[in-house]
Amino acid sequence: MKLEEWNSQIKRGTLEFCVLLLLEPEVRYGYELISILEQWPMVAAGESTIYPLLRRLLKDGLLCAFWQDTAEGLPPRKYYSLTAAGKTQLTAMKNHWNTLTATIQTIQEGHYEHSSEHISGKG
Amino acid sequence: MNTAANTYLEKVDRYLRPLPLSERTDMIQEIKSEIAELEAGGVCIEDILARLGDPKALAGAYLGETIAKSRAFSWKKLCAIIAFYSYAGLGGVFLLPLTSITAVAFMLCGVLCPLAGLFKLIAFWLGFDIPQIAFTIGRYTASATAMFPITIAVGLILFLLGWLCWKLTTWFIRSVVLQKRKVNAL
Repeated sequence: MKLEEWNSQIKRGTLEFCVLLLLEPEVRYGYELISILEQWPMVAAGESTIYPLLRRLLKDGLLCAFWQDTAEGLPPRKYYSLTAAGKTQLTAMKNHWNTLTATIQTIQEGHYEHSSEHISGKG
Repeated sequence: MNTAANTYLEKVDRYLRPLPLSERTDMIQEIKSEIAELEAGGVCIEDILARLGDPKALAGAYLGETIAKSRAFSWKKLCAIIAFYSYAGLGGVFLLPLTSITAVAFMLCGVLCPLAGLFKLIAFWLGFDIPQIAFTIGRYTASATAMFPITIAVGLILFLLGWLCWKLTTWFIRSVVLQKRKVNAL
């Protein structure tokens, strides 16, 4: 149970990053994003998560959207793309993410210095 | 689009009622577009609706994001609104009438003052004295010839003061507009 909660917290924190990353190379519509994310259980998210998230990102000015007709005769789709603010945010997120993963890597491998004085001081 | 899909969308729309119509239409269109795409891909409507989940939950997810953004009562926003109206109200009662009236008055005096000096000078050259126009500070009274440059200097200073008051007026109005935008954005 605890692990599930931890997973959902990670997902909540990283989903926005994933969506922005997916929109970086090209414009995409909501269902497209959902179906791309579906292939990875760690970040898979349903309609009730992605659509409200996209809406919030629009309101925050990180994304902009436009409706476009489809060639296949389907109803028009709402396409999303990054705004300048969205690109800036994504760059910052990438930096933070790289720092975070590098930090965890370092801790995992034990390649860090620490003085035992703090511990011996207690004892 | 079949009846099951329409019933589903109508339900979502009903639960989304707290939102403005234009936004609601946009969301419904987006879900509709996905249903159509999945149907065209050969997925049966039951599976599609099962995938989308309970209409109330889907609408609730939208509302959750929105309510958290704009509808929740927030002390921060309340304080910001009170601060804004106090600021704008105080300015409207005291600052604006004072600065706008003094701005006009100072600038007008700034123009009139050298004109009066010029008038006195011309009269002096023509051999008149106009006792109604004089420049006096304490016991010093300027002669008609000295008066003209003095009135130009004083006129300039007055005009500058008026201009500063005018700047203060426009600055205050601009800052109120800016503050209002900030409060609205909260």
